[in-house]
Amino acid sequence: MKIIKFLLIVVFFSITLQNYLFGKENKLTVEKISKNLRCLICQGQSVYDSQSDFANSVKIIIKKKIEQGKSENEIYEFFTNKYGEWIVYDPKLNIQTVILWIFPLILFIFGGLLIIRKVFIN
Amino acid sequence: MLFSNVGHYSLIFGLIISVILILHSIKRLNDNNIILGKKIFYLLFSQFFTVVLSLIFLIYSFVISDFSNQTVYNNSHSTKPLFYKISGTWGNHEGSLLLWMFVLTLFIFIFFIKSKNQPKNYRLLTITFQQIIIIGFFLFLLLTSNPFNYLYPVPKEGLGLNPILQDPALAIHPPFLYLGYVGSSIIFSSSLAALIQNNVNKEWAVHIKKWILSTWIFLTLGIMLGSIWAYYELGWGGFWFWDPVENVSLMPWICLTALLHTIVVLEKKSILKTWILILSISTFTLSMSGTFLVRSGILNSVHTFANDPGRGVFILVFLLALVLLAIVIFFLYQDKNIKVEKKIFWMSKETVILINNWFMMYFLSVILVGTLYPLFLEVLTNNKISVGPPFYHKLILPFLVPFMFLMAIGPNLKWTKHNFNKINYQQILLLIVALIISFLIANLNGVNLLFVTVVIAFGFYLFFVTLKDFFEKKYNISQKLAHFAFSFFILSVLFNGIFSTEFSANMKIGDKIHFDEGIIKFKKIETYNNKNYKSLVGSFEIQDKKNNLINLNPEIRIYNQPSILTSEADIKTSFFYDKFLVFNILKDDNFFNVRYQIKPFMLWIWISILLLATSGLVSFIKKIK
Repeated sequence: MKIIKFLLIVVFFSITLQNYLFGKENKLTVEKISKNLRCLICQGQSVYDSQSDFANSVKIIIKKKIEQGKSENEIYEFFTNKYGEWIVYDPKLNIQTVILWIFPLILFIFGGLLIIRKVFIN
Repeated sequence: MLFSNVGHYSLIFGLIISVILILHSIKRLNDNNIILGKKIFYLLFSQFFTVVLSLIFLIYSFVISDFSNQTVYNNSHSTKPLFYKISGTWGNHEGSLLLWMFVLTLFIFIFFIKSKNQPKNYRLLTITFQQIIIIGFFLFLLLTSNPFNYLYPVPKEGLGLNPILQDPALAIHPPFLYLGYVGSSIIFSSSLAALIQNNVNKEWAVHIKKWILSTWIFLTLGIMLGSIWAYYELGWGGFWFWDPVENVSLMPWICLTALLHTIVVLEKKSILKTWILILSISTFTLSMSGTFLVRSGILNSVHTFANDPGRGVFILVFLLALVLLAIVIFFLYQDKNIKVEKKIFWMSKETVILINNWFMMYFLSVILVGTLYPLFLEVLTNNKISVGPPFYHKLILPFLVPFMFLMAIGPNLKWTKHNFNKINYQQILLLIVALIISFLIANLNGVNLLFVTVVIAFGFYLFFVTLKDFFEKKYNISQKLAHFAFSFFILSVLFNGIFSTEFSANMKIGDKIHFDEGIIKFKKIETYNNKNYKSLVGSFEIQDKKNNLINLNPEIRIYNQPSILTSEADIKTSFFYDKFLVFNILKDDNFFNVRYQIKPFMLWIWISILLLATSGLVSFIKKIK
């Protein structure tokens, strides 16, 4: 019984692993990219959510870029060069955003140490 | 006019009662009579009554459309339906603050009645601290946001309420959120009082847990109502956008959830006192700073409707003063309370709850830094950055895996010391089944994100474990229900995110378009004239792959006061998915932008949050019995 179970798991894992390694790339869509861009003239809406002229023209540009075979990152880069960092919802890790990305993780490590102290050392 | 005057003076009277209450409470601290008599009861009741009176007069002014009142003039219109005239009372800044005052004075009155078994000085101090907060809000209301300002000459017509606020969910969303926020102020005052009185112990834990629970239930429901509203009213089919205003309501919730877990440790083991005090103070601070951020207009958000920088400064100063007060008291009295606490054994329920808090604080820090960092960066360097969904997903999703694993096994550990006798094969089996199911789902649907698959697997694991535990009666039912609801929630949200599909096109009347999920037909548009808006109702027919026909009738509303266009989505909810259709006017007159979405498991998201709130309610009912 246990052996069968084990075999089953191995089979499933190998199938999935194979898919992950050799599976098709996720298709790039206007929907996916426009969700990660801010509509600059709106109150806190993404390009995807907005129906403003600005958002609609950005969607058309994204569509063209995809047809030109640009990668996801190239498209984000195009928009940041044009409009600045404000337009992308996923801030790049650089000297200005290092605290943003690292602070929670440092806090997490610090919290872990506190718990270890509380539990193992007195 | 008469009503406005009475409402105004009534508030001033309430403020005076606050001062009397503080003086009286301080006087009574030193006497030996341990019974708190009728005097405080009457004072608290009259204070509550003054605010109720004001609120009733304001509501009445709205109902009769008394435009000599500035608040009514700014936010109402005579053609508005009665229901929204009433809900419009708290749909604006001044009125919502009056509602806030109502809840504040109501809660301290209830606190007084329900705390009869608590030590006298603890009750007096709680009332004192609470009155300090109430005075702050009275001053805020009277000095910066008076809802009873008088206008002369009296305008003939009001400016109207923002139409997207004219909605049933939004009529009850602020009251629920406020019940939650104000509840946290009681927890704040009470923990400071308990700290001063050296009273942070098991009895206090039992007593304050009821407040923590009720506050938690209101916050949970309040956030859910806001989210439901965003889902159908903002017109993009999303229910959570990690928008700053949404974040500030989630932060106190997370902090309170951590407190809800830790207070049980105090109740059972009488440890972690300092930490509990920090959590109580933080929850309140987060609630208040949330109000500050929203009201000051600093945040760029979909939910920003009314703001004024001057008000922001007042709240900020007031908040800083309260936090400073809390910190001073904390350091003055902390040492008295905290004797060296016993060591915690590593394999015990205490440890797991500590780990829960550890994760909660991590999630909180992610949201806090994500919300505030862009503000600081802009002030310091003039650089604007946006922090949105991708940031939160990257930092939160990975941590959900161990978090949910511990949520599954943690509650089954024993207090003090858990003896680890033998490996629990049942648990391992459930984990394997969960892994297989999620890998199958991912594979069959071509999901290529290994990581999401792992999160789904642990969601299922938690789901199965809690489900199994339901049948073993020895466990705490509310706790099981809460963890079950959480797994249900995470799974629904993930599936909703992964499997939502959408189709969008520009169509004119009579168009018929084939798309991946079927055929969409734009049949006609009908125009109706309503009391305060004109509506265009589109008639669409959608045929899915199985040839089922459904008709959806989204609407565009053109409001007259103020003149604003809104799109009302038409949503067909079924057990497994929502069909969501919305359309918008384009510049080119003949064409409309049509967006059709199939959103799986939407209903389950709301059900799971309701279950979560129910679990709190079950626990609350058990406590008061």
